[in-house]
Amino acid sequence: MSFNWTPEELQEIVDNNPIVLFMKGTPEQPRCGFSNRAAMVLGQLEDKWASVDVTSDPRAIPSICAWSDFPTMPQIYVNGELIGGSDIAMEMYESGELQKMILESNSE
Amino acid sequence: MVTEAWMVSEVLKVVPDAIIEASDLHGSGDHFHVRVTSKSYDGVRPLQRQKPILNHFKPYISQNIVHALDLKCMTPEQAASTLDTAFDPHSEKKTEFFGVHIRRESKE
Repeated sequence: MSFNWTPEELQEIVDNNPIVLFMKGTPEQPRCGFSNRAAMVLGQLEDKWASVDVTSDPRAIPSICAWSDFPTMPQIYVNGELIGGSDIAMEMYESGELQKMILESNSE
Repeated sequence: MVTEAWMVSEVLKVVPDAIIEASDLHGSGDHFHVRVTSKSYDGVRPLQRQKPILNHFKPYISQNIVHALDLKCMTPEQAASTLDTAFDPHSEKKTEFFGVHIRRESKE
């Protein structure tokens, strides 16, 4: 089965995983400082999260950016909703908003 | 390659009432940390604060003229309690979230 980065396939990823990080590289081997920061922020959480390496396929970044209407990587999704990049994730983690958002989504 | 002054003038087109500080993170003219302080951000969620700016920069990001755009969009109250440090994506210190000190050319 091949993965083609279609809007339907991307939507399925964020629908099936409460927290998703689209990043350059992997949490163990990030290929971009901002992706690393996003992974480190999510690593502070107690919840499980999924990561997708957007450097694994040249079609990934243009497809994801067109689908989400967000021009940069990384991108973080909570409960299917884009919260933003690593700057917003960091900001929301520091203010406690991110934890609150995840807690609320867990109890739904 | 673009300059900090150009970044400031472009962001100003989107958020005319803002106090804007742009930092060229590596002196390479393509990785920027930009902090934007505006009263108009009162009650606006983080992603919605960034969206108009990111949309404006889309053509520059897709042509890789601007490779990285780390944004901090704050209300004046938030700006007053925020530290003068910015995240450096290529910092050696991987455990540190922050690295670069913001250069302030003119204090408002």
